[in-house]
Amino acid sequence: MSKTELVDIVVIGSGPGGYAAAFRAADLGQKVLMIDRDSDLGGVCLNRGCIPSKALLHISKVMSEASHLSTIGVSFSEPQIELDVVRDYKNKIVSRLSSGISQLANARKVKTIHGDASFISNNELVVKSESGDQTIAFKKCIIAVGSSSAMLPGLPEGNPSILTSKTALDLKDIPKNLLVVGGGVIGLELGQVYASLGSEVSVVEFLPSLIPGADQDIVKPLQRRLSKQFKSIMLSSKVVAVKETEGADLSVSIESKDGTEELRFEKILISIGRNPNTKQLNLGSTGIEVDDNNFIIVDEYQKTTVDNIFAIGDVAGNPMLAHKATHEGKVAAEVASGHPAAMDARVIPSVVYTHPEVAWVGLTELEAEEQGIPYEKGEFPWAASGKAMILDASQGKTKILFDPETKRVIGAAIVGPAAGDLISEACLAIEMGSDAEDVGLTIHPHPTLGETFAAASEMYTGTITDLYVPQKRGK
Amino acid sequence: MIKEIVLPDLGEGIESATISEVPLSAGEHVKKDDVLLVLESDKASMEIPSDYDGKITEVLVEEGKDVVTGEPLFKIEIQDSTKEEIEEETKKEDKTKEQTEVKVESKAVFEPNIARVGDDVFASPGVRRLARELGIDLRLIKGTGAKGRTTKEDLHSYIRIKMQEGSGLSKPPKKPIDFSQWGDIEYQKLTKVNKITGSRLQEAWQDIPHVTQHNSADITDLNDYRKKLKSEAEKEGIKITFLPFLMKASVLVLKEMIRFNSSLDENEENLIIKKYFHLGVAVDTPSGLMVPCVRDVDKKTIKELSEELADISQRARDKKLRPDELKGSTFTISSLGGIGGTAFSPIVNPPEVAILGVSKSEWKPVFDKNKKEFVPRFIMPFSLSYDHRVIDGASGAAFVERLSQTLENIDQFKE
Repeated sequence: MSKTELVDIVVIGSGPGGYAAAFRAADLGQKVLMIDRDSDLGGVCLNRGCIPSKALLHISKVMSEASHLSTIGVSFSEPQIELDVVRDYKNKIVSRLSSGISQLANARKVKTIHGDASFISNNELVVKSESGDQTIAFKKCIIAVGSSSAMLPGLPEGNPSILTSKTALDLKDIPKNLLVVGGGVIGLELGQVYASLGSEVSVVEFLPSLIPGADQDIVKPLQRRLSKQFKSIMLSSKVVAVKETEGADLSVSIESKDGTEELRFEKILISIGRNPNTKQLNLGSTGIEVDDNNFIIVDEYQKTTVDNIFAIGDVAGNPMLAHKATHEGKVAAEVASGHPAAMDARVIPSVVYTHPEVAWVGLTELEAEEQGIPYEKGEFPWAASGKAMILDASQGKTKILFDPETKRVIGAAIVGPAAGDLISEACLAIEMGSDAEDVGLTIHPHPTLGETFAAASEMYTGTITDLYVPQKRGK
Repeated sequence: MIKEIVLPDLGEGIESATISEVPLSAGEHVKKDDVLLVLESDKASMEIPSDYDGKITEVLVEEGKDVVTGEPLFKIEIQDSTKEEIEEETKKEDKTKEQTEVKVESKAVFEPNIARVGDDVFASPGVRRLARELGIDLRLIKGTGAKGRTTKEDLHSYIRIKMQEGSGLSKPPKKPIDFSQWGDIEYQKLTKVNKITGSRLQEAWQDIPHVTQHNSADITDLNDYRKKLKSEAEKEGIKITFLPFLMKASVLVLKEMIRFNSSLDENEENLIIKKYFHLGVAVDTPSGLMVPCVRDVDKKTIKELSEELADISQRARDKKLRPDELKGSTFTISSLGGIGGTAFSPIVNPPEVAILGVSKSEWKPVFDKNKKEFVPRFIMPFSLSYDHRVIDGASGAAFVERLSQTLENIDQFKE
């Protein structure tokens, strides 16, 4: 074992949370070491999550727009998919971003080492790699080890036809048909990618709706589009058995209220959720406590139950989102460097990057009804937006929830192209405590999709002129 | 990397100082601990050393300028440090970190309230962050922004108001009186020390309910012992005065009655008992009253204390005290014995809770019960003022009685 190295702050994981934490701490004058088990920095988000999936979704969006053009007098020949080139394009983006992180680390004198980290005590950890074991002594530690795909129990082991988001993004080939197990964000995004590239895609979701947690009026336009793109969407259904067959196909038994059906698929993608990567950390050697779902318990300073160890991102609890990890990473780095920071964000936005996109932030109607929170809403259908019409996005919608008393924005949801970009205005409105008037009286450029946010507010205040709302007209 | 060097906290009472010398200009290289600036307050003149090796890129101040704590002085470009330097820097930053951590701990009482203010507070993320940094609970502030939004300005004015409340500056201005209508007058400017002690004394007098308890001690034997010690020490060039004995005696009693060696916490809910015995000693200097602190009196000999007192009072008169030498005392002695008077009421030196005032010793006839006659004894009158919130009258009386007994028993001073 090589000699022990002492650092101010060690960050385990170099994903969007880990590198943000490491770099922020270094900028605050700390001696920082960043450990990642991969040779490429950037974690799941960059290497096998957000970035590669969005690169592929971009393709599927442009294809769908091109196919719309044929209905308005501009026709292209049928797209030819050269999978190797597509994969290259995706890989190049990933490697450029990953080496960018290395450069940023070098510029800040943040040392990076590769290997599997596990704790020895509250102040020491060991990094195991092919080049041997190395002990690191630290004053503070920030755990940013992320999460991995959850698997269904009882699946045939090691079968290459059973994909996770990671292997699906490797894009080895385009199967004739694909079953997506789990109709959440990851399943629908990857399902759409494979459908665009030529697979016949089916989705099975245990719950009665796609993207559970989002308001269904916002999911509906996406669902309509997907039911055209996909072979089938099976709701309230579950996979009860997956069997290998004599051929290459997998035989899948799917149970619904109508009984059990046996179907054959070339590949299946398991996207039923993600589990925090707590097991390999040897947390037993520390005083760190985890909850029933194996998430590390943290307070608003991102501190674990051990005073000098912090946890951020997926491993520290839901929602498992890169932008939440980044924010938490900075908080942890600042607190660990002696600054009075805290996780004080009011809201964290969620986005599904399908075509059309679905995005929401703050209170949803589902939550409001569940928890009995009073709200009022303003909705603007994109059918009344010129820009949406131009973009073939008349199905879209912008919805804002307001506090009935203060009229402040407390939640928002958008479906349509660029919804993920548009939702940022709602995030700012909520953080700033903006009310309906503030939003409505802010001049938005025309014609844009962004103006639908102001329009939704004006639907609420009754000052809208792009629609006629007889029952409600404000001063 | 460019670092900004700001004026460090200069210590108790000193909020601003005048720059008397800027020996460096832009472009010059400095080494760690090189003098960057010489400052002059009325209390002390001090040199500000550099924390880094590097090149001055910008001088932000000039001679004669008044600077306040936290004001930027220089911009310095730190060279790509060698390994040792990095390590040294890390060590230093550890120290500052420890300090910040201590600060954070002392604020721990508020923190749970202000870490996350809850959605009912109407303030933007930037204002919420600033409030957290300043340790202000946003729920206590009424916002003056549009629709009652709390703004950064609101935080700043909240702090201003709090500071004014604290320093008693919110008193209405007094009307000027033309004294020359009754005769000749002359204006004498108050020194900075005069002003600082003035406002501190006023604050102490207003905040602390004072009680003064008088007593006297028979120091005939002790004085003889001192003279003996004095002639011995003179050979070594040390002048033994009476003050070190008083300090030792006080600490002996403080150890018995530890409440006198305490402070009230900021919320007046806890008493902070100090396990160290640093005594403040009031020194009259040309620019006013100063109270340098002698540390760990219980661990020092009479000779050591005599030497230290001579040094510290000389430097007080020469304005050469370092700011940290004015901090940290747990109990104060003000001796007017060399001048005169029979008794006086000293004012407690906050955050301490008691102060000993010593008046002029005199030969007095004392009735000796054994001999049944009056004998001449050398009697020292003294007065103890204390904070009645912390110390009750019985303890006050017991303290002066124990001090008197201690001073009469010279065995305790023999080393």
